[in-house]
Amino acid sequence: MLNKLEKEGVFSRYAIGGAMGATFYTEPVLTFDLAVFVLLPQRSSGLVSLTSIYEALRARGYGEEKETVMIEAVPVQFLPAYNALIEEAVAQAREIDYEGVPARIARAEHLVAICLQTGRAKDRARVAILREQARLDSNFLAAVLKRHQLEEKWKLWTE
Amino acid sequence: MEALDGISAEVAKIFAGKEKRRHDLARLPFPEKVQAVIELQELAATRGKIVKPWSASCTGV
Repeated sequence: MLNKLEKEGVFSRYAIGGAMGATFYTEPVLTFDLAVFVLLPQRSSGLVSLTSIYEALRARGYGEEKETVMIEAVPVQFLPAYNALIEEAVAQAREIDYEGVPARIARAEHLVAICLQTGRAKDRARVAILREQARLDSNFLAAVLKRHQLEEKWKLWTE
Repeated sequence: MEALDGISAEVAKIFAGKEKRRHDLARLPFPEKVQAVIELQELAATRGKIVKPWSASCTGV
């Protein structure tokens, strides 16, 4: 469904993030929704809205439930790329094959950076598990942290 | 002291085993990890958490 919506231009690109994105690189962790970052086409008003995604999914019989849309019994939370880091994470996401279906997942280094930026307790735990289990590219991570002014936060969380 | 060292060694062995298990889980193919997440959701549901576990195949998403 995500690929179809992208092909139809409902959003220009997507990448899976959040706990399921992290689980691609780490041991499985309990989560109840699928977080999907999306690059939305710019509207003339300049406002970013998820309405077009909700409408496209509603037309296919997928209804909203709280802050998610239930797609094939999976609550999917769409998050517009709200800053330069998320835009970069979506642009540089990895292409994977999930049981014959192409999908896109944010790079582990970007997930680390997003956690640092978001800064909740669960983000701290996620950074710890990604550091421990994901094969992080240290040069790539350093460049991301520098580009998005997250080096100090990284030091604070890891030293 | 010897008994304490014995306990420490045993505990260290348990922790090392747990650590290895976690790293092995991290190396599983993604579809198997998704299945494990679904099993965790089912477990949470049986313990009173109000949650609808995902369907066995998430390829429709």
